[in-house]
Amino acid sequence: MKRTIAVGFLLILGLWIAPVATAQIGEANNTVLVVTSDASHYVLQAGGTVAKMVEDGMDAIVIRVGNDEKDSWDLSQEETALRAKQESEAAAKILGVKKVISLGYRSSELREVPFSTMRDRLIFYIRVHKPKVMFIPNPYTEHERNHDRHYTGRAAEDAWRAAAFPNYLPATKDTDLKPHLTPALYYYASPVDPHRREAESTETFVPQPKMVDISATLDKKLKAAKALKTINHSLAMRLKKRLDSTDRHLGVLGKVDERSIDKLTEERVRGLSAVAAEGTSYEAAEEFRYAGLEFRIPAMYR
Amino acid sequence: MAWALSAVLLLCAFTASAAKLPVVEPPRGKVLMVAQPHHDDHTTDYGLAGLVSRFIDAGYKAYYVRGSNDEKDGRHGYPRNDIINLKETYDAIRILRMEEEIVNLNWRNNFESPFPLDELREQLIFLVRKYKPDAVAGHNGWEHYQKNPGHRNLSWMFAEAYWLAGYRNVHPEHFEVGVEPHETYHYFGKARLDWGLGHRPNVAIEMTEDQVKIKEKAIHAHQNVYASPGGARSIKGRLAAKGLYLPDLENISDDTTAGNMMIEWHMNWISRRWGKEADVKYAEDYYYMDEFSHLPGLKKYLAANLEKK
Repeated sequence: MKRTIAVGFLLILGLWIAPVATAQIGEANNTVLVVTSDASHYVLQAGGTVAKMVEDGMDAIVIRVGNDEKDSWDLSQEETALRAKQESEAAAKILGVKKVISLGYRSSELREVPFSTMRDRLIFYIRVHKPKVMFIPNPYTEHERNHDRHYTGRAAEDAWRAAAFPNYLPATKDTDLKPHLTPALYYYASPVDPHRREAESTETFVPQPKMVDISATLDKKLKAAKALKTINHSLAMRLKKRLDSTDRHLGVLGKVDERSIDKLTEERVRGLSAVAAEGTSYEAAEEFRYAGLEFRIPAMYR
Repeated sequence: MAWALSAVLLLCAFTASAAKLPVVEPPRGKVLMVAQPHHDDHTTDYGLAGLVSRFIDAGYKAYYVRGSNDEKDGRHGYPRNDIINLKETYDAIRILRMEEEIVNLNWRNNFESPFPLDELREQLIFLVRKYKPDAVAGHNGWEHYQKNPGHRNLSWMFAEAYWLAGYRNVHPEHFEVGVEPHETYHYFGKARLDWGLGHRPNVAIEMTEDQVKIKEKAIHAHQNVYASPGGARSIKGRLAAKGLYLPDLENISDDTTAGNMMIEWHMNWISRRWGKEADVKYAEDYYYMDEFSHLPGLKKYLAANLEKK
């Protein structure tokens, strides 16, 4: 009986880790690849960690899936999209990102982009850049009301997995685009999910909560966030409208100008850094779900 | 071992009692919009009728948006179910004291896959702009193990529609007919509390005895799906086989009436059950997102710096 159970267990374990074992790891570049649905999401939730990796010698590439055309206060979709692209590139430059690849899908409409279309484009870029580390939006985050982040995260997660298998994107098999398994994966999210720190299982089975100290790069993150002027203006105006309609007042928004918007953005970034640092000894942090070497490889096989 | 188990149980009991849900009042406002896929989703054992009653008693007008035609729910074929369920929706809405102006979107019942869900979201965005709700309520779009695609899909769209409606670059064609951008700031999501960990409520809405009575009546307005004379007969039969009887049913010869009474008892019991989570007699429990939930980085700053004008 014991022998049957042991054999059964090994069989299940073998089937479960088989995809890892048969995936083609290949050589990784010293590159961090960031996938984001919109210009601000990765800056606010992962910008400090990405900047830190760049300072440590890595190259960073950002793939921005949506065009941010909806997020402005008084601009047309076209003007908003243009400014968001330019500002996204400016923010990335401050973080030390080498290149922003904008896929240009219409923001707030990513649900209607076929899953495999988005995934396969991301697989393509993973194989081009062969990253050592990837950052993706966490599609499992609950109560994140911006669904673009869910759909982007879902496609990016599968792209991370599937990029390692030669039978995905077979048309490119005779090119330099070889299958690639990225060894480290960070899931990032706005801290709106009250249960985000609960590890759902052990590190072998699910990505684990991980806090990263960003005290050394917080200034860069602040500057990068401030570079997203159109989005920040939109937020400031929406907040002011809400407060005005409920007879409330926030000193900093007495007059909405560049100075006050920068101040609000700074408070937001510092607030997020403090939320992520809760329960740690860090002054400023970012929080992730992390899947590294431990993920899907039991301790005895590492 | 027994000592360790007792300690664990004690710790669980302590944790449970320490985590009582906060009881919240309806926020300041005038309009509540409830968007649900089906005719009867306004009143279920896990929520909404009590919340609707609380809001109406606080001065709100409440509108019901019914996403589907409910053709599959009931004892008849598609067309008759469609007609009866529509009529019973109006009956229930009257009991709940909601506005008679029900919005029937009439998407085919639990048949959402063939059309882009953004079309449903677009209609909800338009309705948010038209009715300008201060608060919205429906299924919690993040519920786990929700097997009904209607619940899943409509709630998922509504969770975006209520705030996207405030963006001028979202469906600008709407402004051609006179509506304006409108963002809603209070979201109440209901869900089964016994289906996994996806929905863990963070607030309770307390109900009065009268509000519970309304909930009891509103649900059995939907006789096409809830009338259960057979169920009542069966329970009475099983009790009789054991020499037992229910005194409350003793003089009820009509099994349909008996069935309705049992539904009322269930609604009363479940309202007390969820009330226990907040240490009140009757309640419904919700996942609530307030006006600043989407800005966790600014939460403390706003709490410290907001002033009354």
